Amino acid sequence: MEYFLQQLINGLTLGSVYGLIAIGYTMVYGIIGMINFAHGDIFMVGAFVALISFILFALTSIALPIVLILTLLIAMVFTACYGWTVEKLAYKPLRKSFRLAPLISALGMSIVLQNYVQAAQGARIKTLQPVIQGGFSFFEDGNFTVTLSYLQIFIVIVTIVLMAIFTLFITRTALGRAQRACEQDRTMTALMGINVDRTISMTFIIGSSLASVAGMMFVMYYGVIDFYIGFLAGIKAFTAAVLGGIGSIPGAMLGGLLIGLIETFWSGYISIEYKDIAAFSTLVIVLIFFPTGFLGKPDIEKV
Amino acid sequence: MRDNLLDVENLSMRFGGLLAIDDLSFSAKKDNITSIIGPNGAGKTTVFNCLTGFYKATSGSMFLNKDNKKLDLKKFSDFKVAQKAGVARTFQNIRLFPQMSVLENMMVAQHNKLMIASGFSILGLLNAPSFLKKEKEAVEISKYWLDIINLTNRADDNAGDLPYGDQRKLEIVRAMCINPHLLCLDEPAAGLNAKESAELNKLLLFIKNEKKTGILLIEHDMSVVMGISDHVVVLNYGKKIFEGTAKETKNSPEVIEAYLGTED
Amino acid sequence: MNKNFFQSSIKDSLFTGLIALALFGPIVGLRTVAVNEALVVQPKWLVVGLIVLACTIGRFLINIYTFKKEQRRGEPSSISKIITNFLDTKGAQIALGAVIFSVIFPFMPFADRYWMDIAIMMMTYIMLGWGLNIVIGLAGLLDLGYVAFYAVGAYSYALFAIHFGWSFWICLPLAGLFAGLFGILLGFPVLRLRGDYLAIVTLAFGEMIRILLLNWYDLTKGPDGLTGIPRPSFFGLPFKRYPDEGVETFHTFFGLEYSPMQRIIFLYYLILILALITNFFTIKIRKLPVGRAWEALREDEIACKSLGVNPRNTKLTAFAVGAMFGGFAGSFFATRQAFISPESFTFIESAIIVAIVVLGGMGSQTGVVLSTIFLIGLIEVFRDFESYRMVAFGGAMVLIMVFRPKGILATRKPTITMRKEK
Repeated sequence: MEYFLQQLINGLTLGSVYGLIAIGYTMVYGIIGMINFAHGDIFMVGAFVALISFILFALTSIALPIVLILTLLIAMVFTACYGWTVEKLAYKPLRKSFRLAPLISALGMSIVLQNYVQAAQGARIKTLQPVIQGGFSFFEDGNFTVTLSYLQIFIVIVTIVLMAIFTLFITRTALGRAQRACEQDRTMTALMGINVDRTISMTFIIGSSLASVAGMMFVMYYGVIDFYIGFLAGIKAFTAAVLGGIGSIPGAMLGGLLIGLIETFWSGYISIEYKDIAAFSTLVIVLIFFPTGFLGKPDIEKV
Repeated sequence: MRDNLLDVENLSMRFGGLLAIDDLSFSAKKDNITSIIGPNGAGKTTVFNCLTGFYKATSGSMFLNKDNKKLDLKKFSDFKVAQKAGVARTFQNIRLFPQMSVLENMMVAQHNKLMIASGFSILGLLNAPSFLKKEKEAVEISKYWLDIINLTNRADDNAGDLPYGDQRKLEIVRAMCINPHLLCLDEPAAGLNAKESAELNKLLLFIKNEKKTGILLIEHDMSVVMGISDHVVVLNYGKKIFEGTAKETKNSPEVIEAYLGTED
Repeated sequence: MNKNFFQSSIKDSLFTGLIALALFGPIVGLRTVAVNEALVVQPKWLVVGLIVLACTIGRFLINIYTFKKEQRRGEPSSISKIITNFLDTKGAQIALGAVIFSVIFPFMPFADRYWMDIAIMMMTYIMLGWGLNIVIGLAGLLDLGYVAFYAVGAYSYALFAIHFGWSFWICLPLAGLFAGLFGILLGFPVLRLRGDYLAIVTLAFGEMIRILLLNWYDLTKGPDGLTGIPRPSFFGLPFKRYPDEGVETFHTFFGLEYSPMQRIIFLYYLILILALITNFFTIKIRKLPVGRAWEALREDEIACKSLGVNPRNTKLTAFAVGAMFGGFAGSFFATRQAFISPESFTFIESAIIVAIVVLGGMGSQTGVVLSTIFLIGLIEVFRDFESYRMVAFGGAMVLIMVFRPKGILATRKPTITMRKEK
């Protein structure tokens, strides 16, 4: 029972991270109908920026809460630049091209980002000393102690806060409305005088910011990153986006939590070597049997 | 009943909250050109999609009389409607293979018989004479139809490069290559000028009279509908509001009201 | 050029420089290095400064070039047109020349061990490209996990040869058929998925195969890989320097000095023949009904269905045939290396082969050859530059998609004509 609880806590934490990345996938798919292959690597860049930020702040004596906030903002700003640039260079010119073109371009961008970070930062894994330590312990008398670390609480709270801000943004602001309009009918939206290019750029910026937060959480949580984490996390987050219903933002977070739980429970109870196969299998099963996901809209092709 | 080519009985199609077709029943006779007309959004293309296996009808039935057998079209999904039931169709927004040549388009239509002739490619790979002969025959059939619509000299051009009117005609004769019992045409006259519409009429009458293929036609162009239809079915808001000859339709008050409204 | 243009151009360039600073500042400028178990940051401001400067100036130059280009509107880019016309009209002759060249290649004076290895590697990728061309180029199915079939071919060949001791000429076709079967199994549930989704699923399958190979120690020896894969023989004559008792070897049979190059040259001709078989097969099957159905399916699946074409079976055939050729290539790889491990079958291999097919021009056989030479050449020439060359590779993919999305050789000739070709 205790073990189960621990896996639950761990799974929800991991799931929050995946959910944040998944939102980026689902937003981009919703607005320009393509899978942003490079999104996972944006997450990776965010993790690296956060890492560098933490290392630099460690040299100062600035208080921890301020370091956390500043790192959060720094990661978001710089990673957003990456998302914006990738869109401008690799996707925008191909908006009118055939379906496969942006996908290949995204593939190329993914390769560029991975190897660029590897070249700039070195191929070896990077470690980070724990930033937030300690936590609550439960059931200490039994064989197994359940811990709920402060870090885990921090991750979940940040995720909730960001989701709230983001949902408010999408539903209440003009930019959010423009985004939803673009998702429905891009041509019509343009005819209404809305700057579609700017709306799409905004989508990428927001998606990348959220992914960078996920990256920051990841490097804090695991303490180890390398240039390859984007690939795996990207696939899992994409699975989450589809599972929750591609195009639906609450669905993406829901899907993320589910994937996090599946991965954690599989590792905990069945096998840790094959945990990635569990994730991939989930992807295959979801795409074959539940392509519209839980909260998605069915896709009827007009004949 | 026996000499009806197509019997549609109580057909209904529901999309979530929208009832696109509401308890529709009509018949089309053999050797007839039957037109389905009605204002936009009346459900005409939806009927086609149900008939040709692209949508699964919510309820009701559609029976095709082929070779003295009564086929339940609901049992044929997708490509089987064309392959086994012998129902061919064209599309509102022309669906040719634009990057392939006119001749290749015609050859794809003869795919199934050529596949068998090629021994599922084994005989084909070995250049078996039996396959080559069948392939030659298929080219001859293509030539026959291309001659009828005067496109033989453009047989090797890409289908997407043809002028609009020729593309429409090509789509129709391509559909004829599967030797259909029932040919469903979705707005074949759309975008055609008067001369081209007249040529279309000629082509359709040829198909009806010489090839003895029943034609089901969705159209807005009244010169085509009135010119060649033996039977007309009028839809509005998914319901049938009239069925009769072309002349009867023109004079029917319900039809006039559906198109033009009533006097206040 | 008026003042307005100048001003906005400068603003634009400065903005670009600012973005470049944001991009390259943290990642390039602050390199993390491990010193005594902890990470420290090494600033590299000079590098960043140079990059930012290059971006700013580069942007300015691009603006001027674009402006000048628009002034000359109406003049199509002449160089690209010349190249395209040349390639299109002389395609067949180039192809013939290429085949002749590849046949006499091993006897050229500069063909030493290094160049032969490169040639063998190129030829392997060309074969893989031709195999995947059937799936992506002809049938339009985006398969991002082609390496899975390459791996299945390699591992099944190795396992057949090691455990059953069958000869190369038996194991190779078996492994290919096995891979083809695999293609059917994999393809069956997924081929009805839409383009993007199919891409991701095939990618997932590719990775799953690799993880399976890595962890199923009993069968595949995991990360240790399979060693001792029998080397190929010249129809029974082994390529050994010191023959076993009473066994003739290649060099004794033909009365030659032993040279390690003999086996290399044999391997080269082996892959050349395998690749050419793939090529001839593709050219032939395009003219058959199933090949035409592949291309029609790629153009418009709904139209195909309306003509009675069975989309699932047609797609499965393309997938399985492509898988089979991937399997053949894998068998060759296994016998050439005599050692295989999951490391050789990563996702990046799938990505490279996809790049080769798309950049060559979907469906174009000659295009595949050209893009292989270009892309693999790029990777090889910059071998010393490690990650940078992969950055260049990915960058090449993006650039070609942006500027020439149809690939190098974009035109398509019909497979059957009414009039006889001149």
